[in-house]
Amino acid sequence: MVRTLKNYIGGQWVDADTSESIAVCNPATNEVLAQCPESTASDVDCAVKAAQDAFEEWRSTPVMSRAQYMYRFKTLLEERFEDLAKMVVMENGKTIDEARGEVRRGIESIDFATGVPFMMRSDGLEDVSSGIDETTLRQPAGVFAAITPFHFPMMVPMWFLPTAIVCGNTFIMKPSPQTPITTELVFELLAELDLPEGVVNLVHGGITASKAIMEHPGITGVSFVGSSPVAKIVYETCTKHGKRVQAQGGAKNYIAVMPDANMEASVKNIMGAAFGCAGQRCLAAAVAVGVGDAYDAMKAELVTYAKNLRVGYGLDGKSQMGTVISQDAKARIERMITRGVEQGAELMLDGRGAQVEGYGEGAFVGPTILADVTPDMTVVTDEIFGPVLSLMRADSLDEAVTLINQSRYGNAASIFTSNGKHAREFKYRVKAGNIGINIGVAAPSASFPFGGQKESFYGDLHGQGSDSIEFYTERKIVIERWT
Amino acid sequence: MSELNSFGEVLSYAISLEHTLQTYYTNAGNLARAKEAERRKIKLERTRRENVLEITLEPIEGLNANDFPLNLEDISDEGQRMIEEAAARFYAAAAPKINVLQAQRDLERVGKQHEALAGT
Repeated sequence: MVRTLKNYIGGQWVDADTSESIAVCNPATNEVLAQCPESTASDVDCAVKAAQDAFEEWRSTPVMSRAQYMYRFKTLLEERFEDLAKMVVMENGKTIDEARGEVRRGIESIDFATGVPFMMRSDGLEDVSSGIDETTLRQPAGVFAAITPFHFPMMVPMWFLPTAIVCGNTFIMKPSPQTPITTELVFELLAELDLPEGVVNLVHGGITASKAIMEHPGITGVSFVGSSPVAKIVYETCTKHGKRVQAQGGAKNYIAVMPDANMEASVKNIMGAAFGCAGQRCLAAAVAVGVGDAYDAMKAELVTYAKNLRVGYGLDGKSQMGTVISQDAKARIERMITRGVEQGAELMLDGRGAQVEGYGEGAFVGPTILADVTPDMTVVTDEIFGPVLSLMRADSLDEAVTLINQSRYGNAASIFTSNGKHAREFKYRVKAGNIGINIGVAAPSASFPFGGQKESFYGDLHGQGSDSIEFYTERKIVIERWT
Repeated sequence: MSELNSFGEVLSYAISLEHTLQTYYTNAGNLARAKEAERRKIKLERTRRENVLEITLEPIEGLNANDFPLNLEDISDEGQRMIEEAAARFYAAAAPKINVLQAQRDLERVGKQHEALAGT
């Protein structure tokens, strides 16, 4: 009998108010790991009430005491590091190294949150007028929520929850119904911290719970990571209901390879950027633009490396690429590859129909390389979110930048070059939120804001870094005269 | 097939190697060296946990555990020296293949300890 996950509300593990649930499957074995309840608006309402009840006591808990919880949280996460990484593999399908890397980055966000006492400090000025002093205060803003995706089930929730609560807010997490067990494990550790009841709450579910979060008047702000069409809906719905919102959407990340690049080092890094996490990350390289002579060399090297990548179950340490999230995702990705070929792309490496011995029901898609693609093809215009790398040719850096800036997405873009002038021009002109120079996955560390441009982001303040302090606090100006 | 083709595989093999040496030296009655092997194992576990950099994971080529055989039956002084020499060779081969500087340094440090124990 497969267990049904429970919500964590007001410091208690409770059943959701529903009989509906979604099967959580291991994408490599198709084993059902658990049933994720389709929590309802009443479940969300209970979580909001618990978070509201906890807020006044929590906001008046000294900030240093709030930060202390994060030190203990980090210790528990380090102790359970391998368990967390294995659970990420089991429900997401990525490799164990990728999962370890994800857990590490999640913990980095907790490291960052321990610095909130410093970062929440504000400024002031004496004698703005005769005998009048003016000070800025930063205060927690209330109940916040996050709706998080399947592709980084440990890291992405940690972008939000730790900083939000150390800032003095209370929190509701709604993880992806495809990967909720990692978040459950994280909440088991949070439960060990003995936080006041209601400071952190977990509500499982899908669209119904998400809609209830977006519309609930008791929630001050929502953080979201997912596809662009959904990010737009989240942004519009939340703003319509008077909330602040940061909605991170999809991507189509370009990499420009210059003729002066170290080709071997570049290709190795592009391999990780394109096929790491089976291409299921919002910073994955989707299109590699070879400039001038770089194109043919890049194409040959990429195919050589990619065809030797070992695809397999993530818990087998020798696997270099795992599964995509589900059979549905596999079918969708394979249809997009077929469409690309029909539209004229040259199929250099075909990952469709990939089979792994012993895992006949696994959602495996092998590394795929499409050459000579053009800007109008769907493999270039639409996000694939799978291990598919499209190759384009450009005559100059100027043409490469133009191609990149034509994309409706703007999450990340990278250049591989040994020329500082090329690097400067690239970072100066390219319209993307994250720029990589000789690095294919331009992922900001926890102390820097993370977010895209154009249709890759809806909102004003990005996740992580100083933006997260802004997002999770309310500013108040105090003007004083005592004379 | 004992190809070590990723960051995690290399570090996991190193951790397992130190664990094997801990058991070997315990059986050989050399408890000081068993303790040292345990310390190295803990250090390498931390290295694997703290230095895996998701954004720069790249495939590793040309490293195979079979190239560093250990004769665990021989607990003589010469046997111990040969084992340390094999371990030192492993770390010397593995460290340059790791593209995370801190992890590379940790492997080099552990390798130097084995070199010293081997008297090379």
